[in-house]
Formats: sequence, structure tokens, C-alpha cells
Amino acid sequence: MTALKKSSLTEPELVLALQSKDPAVLKTLYSMYSSALYGVISRIITHTELAEDVLQETFVKIWQSAGHYDNTKGRLFTWMMNIARNLSIDKLRSKDFKNSLKNQDIENNVSFVDEQNKVTFNPDVLGVKQLVENLKPDLQAVLNLVYYKGYTHVEAAEKLDLPLGTVKTRIRLAIIELRRSFN
Amino acid sequence: MSVENLKAYIESGVLELYVLGDLSPEEALQVEEIASQNPEVRDEIAAIELAMENYAMQNAVEPSADVEKKLFEKLGIRADDDLETTSATPQYSDEPRIVRLDNSDGKIRTLRFALVACVALLVVSTAALFITYNKLNDAHDQIASLNLDKQKFAGVVSQLEFENKGLDNMVAMADSKEWATIRMAGQPFSPNSKMNVYWNKKDKSVLINYVAMDLPKTDAQHEYQLWAMVNGKPVSLGVFGKTDSTTNEALQKMQTIQEAQAFAVTIEPMGGSVNPTMEKLSVMGGV
Repeated sequence: MTALKKSSLTEPELVLALQSKDPAVLKTLYSMYSSALYGVISRIITHTELAEDVLQETFVKIWQSAGHYDNTKGRLFTWMMNIARNLSIDKLRSKDFKNSLKNQDIENNVSFVDEQNKVTFNPDVLGVKQLVENLKPDLQAVLNLVYYKGYTHVEAAEKLDLPLGTVKTRIRLAIIELRRSFN
Repeated sequence: MSVENLKAYIESGVLELYVLGDLSPEEALQVEEIASQNPEVRDEIAAIELAMENYAMQNAVEPSADVEKKLFEKLGIRADDDLETTSATPQYSDEPRIVRLDNSDGKIRTLRFALVACVALLVVSTAALFITYNKLNDAHDQIASLNLDKQKFAGVVSQLEFENKGLDNMVAMADSKEWATIRMAGQPFSPNSKMNVYWNKKDKSVLINYVAMDLPKTDAQHEYQLWAMVNGKPVSLGVFGKTDSTTNEALQKMQTIQEAQAFAVTIEPMGGSVNPTMEKLSVMGGV
């Protein structure tokens, strides 16, 4: 599966090495997952510099709180992705981020916007974009907010003016579509 | 939980929110509890996780190489491939390490060393200057005292030369048959005094030798006067200075006298007297 295409270690081996604070494993982990995690982060935070800061913070946190990971509760990647998402959302709501937006002057805006849209042309991503675009619009709207904007389901419900239960169901349906496409 | 309830639970979407980290800690704990009791729930969670993981992998975006470099610098893990040695003694710290990316750190260190070196040099220079200054003062003192010594020796030398000259003359006169030496002895006025007078038998000239006299100093208003006793009458042969006279000549020529029975010296007022002051007769000696 593509998930472990760069891997030289299995997930339990990775976890064991990570929890024994072996510096070598962090390099392995980085080479395996940095681009996947950066994919998550850079969709929530479109500002390249800030997104890279968050990626760095994510790996620092992975390294420092490796002891808190419990493999009975879920996959290592889920744990790492949630660290990345939480740090991204924190950053999005921080003063830092708001300041950086204010500091974008008009001259830089064109290239800035272009840069932000770069990922759209990533051929690896095109298929998935396509897939998400093929979702029914109501599923797509929810997935966009939750996955690309870092909204919680409660915030998404407010934003879309939908009952919480509906939002939850739509998230489930969208993910079921994804599961189907990967099978 | 019944099969229907379980199905409803799974379809509620709560497991997706669990995987997305979008549940409160209490809700998450509840999901974990239910999952531990129901393999169906566990499998569903695993399927959702895998889907999200695959989705993330498909949406991967390569970050710039800078991030990795900064990350490992921040964690204090060496970025090179030689991780075998670092794994033995992992070098990480809980506190993020601050790493300067430019090399100003090195420059500051260099400048710091330079400053320390300058201060050290200044201290050493000051000390050296102080020592040199003290030595210079010592040298000045030594030169002054040596100069004093030199003057003293020069004085001694000129005194010795003066005496030597007088002695030479005395020897020459003693050797010569022409000169008569009249020894004058101390008189009651000055018992310790003595003096010689040299009288040339041929041309009758009279010399005195400062080396060959031992007279006390006179005061500033008085000097010695030499007398010749001619048939009982004193005849002045002139005055002479003090023994510490600054003239280099040890010998002093006095007035000639054709005949004399005795010579005498008295202390007289400056310039001499017509008649000797007999109370101040210092020395006297017969021919």
C-alpha cells in the first residue's frame, strides 16, 4: 500500500524505537510521514512559512510526547495526524497567524496566491481532488470544512446551518466514499 | 450493546469524529471503551483510520528541505547519517535549543576572544610600563648617586694630584743642594701646627709648599703671613692663603730674602700687617 512505501520499519517497530527515544527513528518517521502530514497542515494553513513552522512543531511534539502514544487506541499515523491538525488549528486561531495575514501587502498578493494554489497542480493530488469533487456537493462541503479548513464538526454545523447529527452523518458518508475509492 | 444499537452507533459518525480527533476526552474515552468490547467497532475504526491515512498519503505535499534541517537542529539531533553513535547517547532536550542560522555566533565568539586578548594585553602592557617606570626611576637615582660619587672621586683625584705635585717638588728640592728646608714648629698659640719653608741658597728665593704645612684654618677676615727674622727684626715675606686653596699649584713663591736667622708665621688681618702680631704666632723655626 502506498501508506508505507518509504518504510523500512513496521509500525510496531517504529513505535518501539520512538518510545525508546532513538534519534534515528525520528529521521525514518520524518522521511515516511512528513509530506503526508505537511499535506494535512498546508491545507489548513495556506501560508507556506507558517505551515512549515507547524510541521516542525508537529515533529517536536511527536518526539517529546511519544510516551503518550497508546497503540491499542489507534494507528500511529492517526495520532500524528491529530497532533498536526490540532497544532494547525491552534496556529490558525493564534495572534501570530492573524498578524501574518495583515502583513501581506498587495504587491505580494499575486505571487502569494499563486504559491498557495501550487498544490492544485500536484499530479499526485489531482486524482484525490477529482474524487472529492465527485462527491455530492453536500458531502464535499462538510469534508472541505472539516478536512481542509480544520473545522470541528460543531463549527461546521454552525457554518452550514445544519443539525449536528446531519454533519456527523455527512462526514461518515464522505469517508465511506474515500474508503471505497481506496479499495 | 445489541446488534441494531451497534449498527446505529457505527452509523452515527461518532467513530469518524473520533479518528479526526473531534471528540471531547470523555466522548473519546467512551468510544475506546466500546471499541475494546466490540470487534466490529474496532474494525470500523481501523478502516476509517486507514482511509484517512491513505487520503493523507494521496494528498501529500513535500515540505522544503529546510524544515528537516531546522527540526533536527532544534532537537539537537545531528543531521548527518552517522546516527549509530548518536543513538547510543541520544542528545535531545525538553527545552528547544535555540540555534542561530547565520554564523554571527562564531563571529561573536571570535570577537569575544579578541576582546579578552586585548584586555589581557592591556593589563600586561600596563604592568610592564609600571615596572619599566620604576626601573627608570631607580636608574635615575643610581645615575645621581654615581654622579655624586664621581664628583667625590674627581675631588679626591684632584686633591691627590695636588698633593702629589707638592710631594714631587719637595722631593726635588730635598735632592737639590740649592734648597734649604726650614722646619717651623708649633708655638703656644697653635701647638699642633707645623710648616716647612724652602730657601734657595743661590738666588735667595723663598717657597712654601701647601702640602708641607699643617695649619688650622683662619677665619674669613684673617690670613697667614710669613716673616723672616733678620738680625732680630721681622721682615714680611708676604701673605699666603689657606691650605685648602683652590689653586692647583702646591708651591707658592714668597718674597726673596738675602739673609735670615729664622722664619715665622703669624695670623694677620687680610692683606697682612707691617709688624707681626706676636700673640698670634703660629709656627717658627730657625735656619
